[in-house]
Amino acid sequence: MNQIVSIGTSHHVAPIEFREKLAFSEAQLTESLQHLRESFQIHEAVILSTCNRVELYAVVNSVRTADAAAKMLVEFLSHYHRIGVGSLKKWTYLHHNLETIQHLFRVTASLDSMVVGESQILGQVKTAYDTSREASGGGAILNRLFTKAFSVGKRIRSETTIAAGAVSISYAAVELAKKIFNTLEGKTVAILGAGEMSELTAKHLVSNGVANVIVANRTYERAVKVAEKFNGTPMAYDSDLDFLIDADIVISSTDAPDYLIKRQPLVHIMRKRKHRYMFLIDIAVPRDIEPDVNKIDHAFLYNIDDLEAVVASNLKDRQQEANRAEQIVAEEAKRFYDQLQIFQVNPTIKALHQQFREIADTELQACFYKTTLSDQQEAAVASMTQAIVKKLLHHPMQNLRCAVNDGDADHGQYIQALQELFALDVNDDNSDV
Amino acid sequence: MINFLFLVTLLIYLAAGIFQTLSLAIGNRSEASLIRPAIERLAFWCTIIGFAFLTLFIALWWLQQGHFPMTHWTDSTAFFAWAITLIYLIIVRLTHLRTLGSFVMPVAFIAILISYSFATHTAALPEPLQNYWLLAHTTLIFLAYAAFIAAFGFGLMYLIAERKIRKKTDTLLDNLLPSLGVSDELGYRCTILGVILLTMGVIVGSLWTQYIRDVPWRWLDAKVISTFMTWFIYVVQIGLRQFCGWHGRRAAYAAIIGFVAVLCTYVGVDLFLDSMHTYR
Repeated sequence: MNQIVSIGTSHHVAPIEFREKLAFSEAQLTESLQHLRESFQIHEAVILSTCNRVELYAVVNSVRTADAAAKMLVEFLSHYHRIGVGSLKKWTYLHHNLETIQHLFRVTASLDSMVVGESQILGQVKTAYDTSREASGGGAILNRLFTKAFSVGKRIRSETTIAAGAVSISYAAVELAKKIFNTLEGKTVAILGAGEMSELTAKHLVSNGVANVIVANRTYERAVKVAEKFNGTPMAYDSDLDFLIDADIVISSTDAPDYLIKRQPLVHIMRKRKHRYMFLIDIAVPRDIEPDVNKIDHAFLYNIDDLEAVVASNLKDRQQEANRAEQIVAEEAKRFYDQLQIFQVNPTIKALHQQFREIADTELQACFYKTTLSDQQEAAVASMTQAIVKKLLHHPMQNLRCAVNDGDADHGQYIQALQELFALDVNDDNSDV
Repeated sequence: MINFLFLVTLLIYLAAGIFQTLSLAIGNRSEASLIRPAIERLAFWCTIIGFAFLTLFIALWWLQQGHFPMTHWTDSTAFFAWAITLIYLIIVRLTHLRTLGSFVMPVAFIAILISYSFATHTAALPEPLQNYWLLAHTTLIFLAYAAFIAAFGFGLMYLIAERKIRKKTDTLLDNLLPSLGVSDELGYRCTILGVILLTMGVIVGSLWTQYIRDVPWRWLDAKVISTFMTWFIYVVQIGLRQFCGWHGRRAAYAAIIGFVAVLCTYVGVDLFLDSMHTYR
């Protein structure tokens, strides 16, 4: 019987100083998988190395105990990265069989991520899996495990809202805009004052269909400079707000001490633009936009606190959803583990059946050759033989399956005993299944 | 038999109304995010089955009466519910916005409930009025009413969504409501559809008067006047939108005022004023 073990570290347990020491570059991945195969006889392994985590999943032969298997992985990492065993033991976690399965499912479903529900991790695990498959040809058990992990990840994303709702200020702004306008296609965004946040938000808006960018500044020259970045139209700021006539979305982030956009002039502008919707985002502190602007018909104002509240509430929702996702993970991991046990027992059962049947067939043929039975008699003898084989195998097989299903630790020994007693030839890598 | 069919229809509409309201009420709250789509689907299937039953009921009722049933409140309100459901189903077919049902299906249910409470009553229709003019005239008018009720539904959706955005109470319920722009636009389209249908209905009705000989007809009929007023409210609304930028919140309020006008025309006139159009 094989066992699945894993060792790993993540932002939850270790600081960046340790994680960077443990990280694998792309070139190192292939090399280290080869090393595992040659020096440690580990034929199935996947290494996941991202900025937040480094994890090694491996299938180890059952001859070793769980502790010995873990020790082997620690030894490998310590040897490969030249890190002391002590600090490895301090900053890493070890998982065995069911725990490993559960952990991988959690990681793939991004339940273990810094931002729960983020979408990158699924792709990262896929890449890690593909790399190791190319390097080592993969193996039956990890193939099954990772394929299952991807489907569990997808199931959680579709059955829970764990990935719903923006969790950054700039995405929250885009999401809100989508709740106001029937479409963002062809809309115009105006940026007042440059800054990383406002540029990022504008970029997201453009990639969501916003067609025109207006850049306004107190000095026209500076507006020209920023406008170049977005292929936008530079405009000079004036307190009558004429530059806002065509703007559907306004992002303001200047360091001006007073309000730059006041209610009264904006009311006039709204009338001039026939009361088309205007969404104003004020991410400046001190604020750039008079709060009363939010009272104008069809003008909606969000300041930095409002946006942060949206993000916080989305994060809270995700956290709640994470609890439901954990249940799915637990249930799927248990099911997968049980299936894996049966999957590992199957070759032995199959081989035993085959052996019995072959013996019976050989003896039957010999018997038929020596005697002169009618067709009817031959058929009767043959079916009797089949029945004997079936009944002989009935109890051992049933008990073996029970042991597996009950999670009985002895079943590994049963398998071993069967293989040795009956001299069964079983492919241990399960490649025939 | 026909009464039993009607009772079943009523119960299905009740279920549709309850499920629709429930689906809106629980929103996308995380503990219900698996159940809500199921409830909404259930509500929608109830609506479709209820519509089929109602169509069957009206058809049987028609056969039993021997003429298009449009004399008593029973006939009228059942047909009203039928028109509302038809317009709703067409809108869902085109836009997939099932949430609208949470606002219009309760109205349809109340209409059927009124209809059911009169179910055993019938009234004679004067011989000269039994013709296809009646069918065309009333169908157009009721479809117009249904379109106005859909516009009313979109108006309510707009106001709820706007309130949420304005108050910054961002809950997941927002996902069920379309964006302000979409509610506004669809409400406007329903209003235009309603005005076109109402205009056609009125034209058919006034042509019809040329053919009626034996029944006294007077132009200063309460229903006629109030219909013109309703028509005027909607036309002014469209004009203000086109020329003065009255969309969004104002349009939503206008849709609600229009809804009240429709109710006054449909129900109020009959109850308090004497009219040639009165249902018995």
